[in-house]
Amino acid sequence: MGITNAEVPNDEGMTKHEARRLGKVKLCPCLPAMCSLRHSAFVILSSFVISHSSFLCTGCATHADHLRDIRSAYFAGDLDRAEKLIDVELGKRRGDAGVLKLERAMIELCAGRPASAERLLREVRDEFDHLEQRDVAEETVSMLTDDQRRAYAGEDYEKVLVRAFLSLANLMTDGQDAAAYGLQVAAKQQEIIQAGCVDSDDNPKLAYQRVAVGAYINAMLHEASHSNYDDAERAILQVAEWQPDFRFKADDFERVRYGRHSEPGNGVLYVFALVGRGPYKEEAVEVPTSAALLVADRILSVTGKHTLPPTIAPIKVPRVVRGSSRSEIPVFVDNDPEPRGKMETITDIGKIAVQQAEAVAPQVLGRAIARRVVKKGAIYATKEAVNRGSNPLAEFGLDVIGVAWEATESADTRCWGMLPDTIQVLRIELPVGEHRVSFPSGWNSIAGIPTFCGEKIEISDGRNTYVLACFPDSRLVGRILVSQP
Amino acid sequence: MQRSFARRGVASVIILALAACGGCRGRQHAHVLKQNDANMVGSHVAGAETYKPLIEESVAKLLGREAESAGIQPAGLNGQVGCKRICFVGVENRSVEEIGDFKEQIYEIIDSHISESGIFQSVSKRFVDAALMETRLRPDQLFLPNNRRMFAAALEEVGQPFDYLLFAKITSGTTGSNGDYQRDYLLTLELVNIQTGDNDKESATLRKGYHKSALGKFKHYGL
Repeated sequence: MGITNAEVPNDEGMTKHEARRLGKVKLCPCLPAMCSLRHSAFVILSSFVISHSSFLCTGCATHADHLRDIRSAYFAGDLDRAEKLIDVELGKRRGDAGVLKLERAMIELCAGRPASAERLLREVRDEFDHLEQRDVAEETVSMLTDDQRRAYAGEDYEKVLVRAFLSLANLMTDGQDAAAYGLQVAAKQQEIIQAGCVDSDDNPKLAYQRVAVGAYINAMLHEASHSNYDDAERAILQVAEWQPDFRFKADDFERVRYGRHSEPGNGVLYVFALVGRGPYKEEAVEVPTSAALLVADRILSVTGKHTLPPTIAPIKVPRVVRGSSRSEIPVFVDNDPEPRGKMETITDIGKIAVQQAEAVAPQVLGRAIARRVVKKGAIYATKEAVNRGSNPLAEFGLDVIGVAWEATESADTRCWGMLPDTIQVLRIELPVGEHRVSFPSGWNSIAGIPTFCGEKIEISDGRNTYVLACFPDSRLVGRILVSQP
Repeated sequence: MQRSFARRGVASVIILALAACGGCRGRQHAHVLKQNDANMVGSHVAGAETYKPLIEESVAKLLGREAESAGIQPAGLNGQVGCKRICFVGVENRSVEEIGDFKEQIYEIIDSHISESGIFQSVSKRFVDAALMETRLRPDQLFLPNNRRMFAAALEEVGQPFDYLLFAKITSGTTGSNGDYQRDYLLTLELVNIQTGDNDKESATLRKGYHKSALGKFKHYGL
């Protein structure tokens, strides 16, 4: 085994390293430049951490904080205020334009501007597709700071839902691209799951529950063609597999397998509703992991040459939280006092989001731990470089910088915050002509009766008519959209 | 040595952590294929490399046979004597795979080939779809004589009489072996004479192997 100069004993029987620790050796006079470099390394690291800390401390609000007011305004039905707040955020946080455009698209859709919503969603879809590629510079910066420094490429369920909402928005306009978007929903899901096994054979994404609304829209459109019943049947089988508790699956299968779209003289009304408050992310502290890391760095500090910055700042990770749910909405047609039926959940967004977050939680936590290791490693390396092992004050100073550096981390809570908790649907066959479809929307406390909101619709022979409404709580938000592409 | 080892260790940790996140983000590119460029081969499902040869072969066989045979008296329209009027109802996918956006294209390619043959004249798909909606008949119900007559009457009413119904059907058969599998695709064209109910079938088949690794091809099929 070789031996380095530092380990050659000097006249007093000490290695240079030991002597340096005891202050009995002078630094080599021929290396002032090296000393200067070491000093520079210390200064650069300190400046980076301090400047970054101050930067983050002044603006350390997470996306969840920014989103709170926007969500409140939107769910309260104040679309104008929600729109203004988003525009303000868009002006301030250009790096997060994609995720903010998603919120904007929801407002556009509910406000009765589906074409504008579709345009925004298309932009976000393409942007997410681009951003889901890895970028080494961005990853490096995120390792030195936190995950918020990465461009947001959307969670897996968001990437799929963008396409599902594109399909819904298009149905509310001319419907020409709705089937294509519906196919993209299935294709994207497949792509995401296949990409999940690149690094290992154990693919956590295989457990993902699929988004069934895309398949349902495809089935609906194939059936309305009166010729593609085989594709409609295939799509309904997918719906049954992906949303097993969908109550209408047996009726739908029976109809597309053996029956027909509608009786002569009838058309079909599809009512879609965006119901409940969808999932969002909040910052959570990983207490057991933080404690374990603290124990680990204390052990290394005692046994190692230098101390490591203690894990005082807890490890923060995003946690997906389900919003409030709402039961199936009854649908009334014309003046019938009895509801024509209750809507049924075709996609449980809250459940899917939570399940997907759980599936990839080890990866998220792993990245947070890796970041801490990198930061502690950088501090350790700096101590080595500046060789302040003999100076407890400098050692302590670097540890303080390290702790401050770690404390600047925040969890990445960026998410599509205005999603509904569920997407519900009801299919009603109606005679040709004009009808009125209505939903209970609140309660008149003076009269003691429920209030209703509704819209006129036109049913054509053998064709579909679509209605879309948004019910985050008991009240309708925005307008009821009606379309007959 | 200890210090050097520590330095190298720390540097390695940082480099490994960063390398684990490696890769560059690039813009998507595309290019226009030349006529003689080979089709991309779908790694998980069938694509252009499968459907296009199937269509070419089955349509060629059908047209070849019809050209040889002595046809029935055509329905004729506007003096187009000699051309049999054909109503292409649609493509039915009964394979294990979704064909997605290929379905409409398969229909259009078959329809174009048939129209260009000079043997048949096809009824526009828009009329076919409108008649199916009008009669509320499913394509598979057109095999029953009464339904066929009802459908023919609906098309005649809009000035689109026809002699034959044409159905296309895609089926598949899968053979698996230790994770690899072979899938045989079959495209069948079925021509039904609406006057006699006689039918004529032509089909084309294409086999495709799907492998977990590049060596799978040699393992199952040799060099």
